Amino acid sequence: MHTIIVGCGRVGSTVARELDADGHSVVIIDRKPEAFRRLGDNFKGRTLTGIGFDRDLLTAAGITAECAVVAVTNGDNSNILVARVAREMFGVERVVARINDPKRAKIYERLGVSTVAAVAWASNRVMQYVLPRRGTVEWSDPTSTFHLAERRVSAELAGTKISDAGVNIALVVRNGVAHVGESSMLLQENDLIHILGTADHIESFDNGSSIAGAH
Amino acid sequence: MKIVIAGAGSVGRYMAKQLAASGHTIVIIDNDASAVFRLQSTDSITSFQGDACEVDVLAASGAAEADVVAAVTGDDEDNLVISLLSKQEFGVPRVVARVNNPNNEWMYNEMWGVDVSVSTPHLLTGLVEEAVTEGSLVRLMAFDHGKSGLNEVTLADGSPAINQTIGSLQLPREATVVAVLRDGHVVAPALDTVLHAHDEVMVLSSGDCEAAIRAALIGSK
Amino acid sequence: MALFRRKKTEIAPVEAVRGIPMAEVPLRTSVTVCGKVTRMRTRPAHGVPALVVTLRDETGFVTAIWTGRRTIGGIALGRTICLEGVGTKASDGITFMNPAYTLVK
Repeated sequence: MHTIIVGCGRVGSTVARELDADGHSVVIIDRKPEAFRRLGDNFKGRTLTGIGFDRDLLTAAGITAECAVVAVTNGDNSNILVARVAREMFGVERVVARINDPKRAKIYERLGVSTVAAVAWASNRVMQYVLPRRGTVEWSDPTSTFHLAERRVSAELAGTKISDAGVNIALVVRNGVAHVGESSMLLQENDLIHILGTADHIESFDNGSSIAGAH
Repeated sequence: MKIVIAGAGSVGRYMAKQLAASGHTIVIIDNDASAVFRLQSTDSITSFQGDACEVDVLAASGAAEADVVAAVTGDDEDNLVISLLSKQEFGVPRVVARVNNPNNEWMYNEMWGVDVSVSTPHLLTGLVEEAVTEGSLVRLMAFDHGKSGLNEVTLADGSPAINQTIGSLQLPREATVVAVLRDGHVVAPALDTVLHAHDEVMVLSSGDCEAAIRAALIGSK
Repeated sequence: MALFRRKKTEIAPVEAVRGIPMAEVPLRTSVTVCGKVTRMRTRPAHGVPALVVTLRDETGFVTAIWTGRRTIGGIALGRTICLEGVGTKASDGITFMNPAYTLVK
């Protein structure tokens, strides 16, 4: 899976090195070539110097609708430009942008851009968007019976009533605002849901068999 | 009219003074205190220090009541975000934005809430072309969200329009000859006006009819 | 392990969203409107797709435009949705650009 990272700062270089070490195809873009020093000597991915929302540069970076784009420069504005160009012009679905201003982050979420704030664990959050590993859980109780798993609602699942989801959806985060999961609520594309359940529950949600009416 | 100007550089400050002199009420915003307070506060001009890309700053500067927001900072990213927020969050009827780098001009449209974009390099190029180019179509200005434009063709010697009347030109319905410049005079166009070589024909068009205008005034290559 | 009874507390469900009549939508301020999708089209502009949806209620209609998308899961002809955003005057009625939406039915 091809990933294009814009911004070779702390988060960008960390994500780039992790993906590269896992054997994924990575291109990292920055305006200043000195920034690439953060990648170290073992980095086997590609580096490109230039402006991340430039269409020609993104094309040169191998952008396609199937890849992932991570916008983690120091500037919120650059990041949202990169994110929208990737999503709207190139049809990329897996786009995540680092936006520090929570008010603007809410607005950008309405545009379908997943946002991450600049916090210490930002690179982990970003990795979750780029490689949504099925089966990951965020929390487990001490007996490891119940787990809390975060998942994004796909377009296919949009319109499903929470009570038909077949799992306990404790929390729905929509456009940056958290709502307690009520049974009659309809799930929407890009909702971030927190599922509380056993490992079997979560697995059945992940493979689609928990949904009422699923074949 | 109430106008909010984002960017108190030389362009923003000039605009503020001119527009205030025309009787409009101006609020000018810049993150740099020294830039924004270089402008004398008057009854018509209020200076505001803050980042115009922030929703709260736009709200405090009166964007919700503004008739126009002009995003004229020296930074295209800022101008696009200011335009988007102005249009989407405050419903500003007219958003004007400055293009700094022509490579970014393609984003300055309704996708980012921009109603009118102005690119100085683009304007300059158009005007240079208009002065030196004969036998080509020059796009001088775009209006109406880019849907309409003012085009200019100086008739070269081989033009099919020479010795034709304006009425007989095969121009589409969406294009109108609005003026003919001849030897330094403006000739008001009538259907029976005969065109001469080296006439500068100004055509106002809406929609995409460049090809038809070229065919009528320049001919096939 | 302790057993406890939990009192069921009433929490207003998210989709009990109340909209105002579309004929009364004020401009320049954030409002909520709800209605049925009566028309949907994808309209490319400047090389980028846009989803344009017409919503109707008993009093009138509004248009919602979502830039950069061709579809939104759950938004289809005949479905009821609510929009929250700031309306601007367009050539035909009121338009909401990239509003927040809630699927109702």
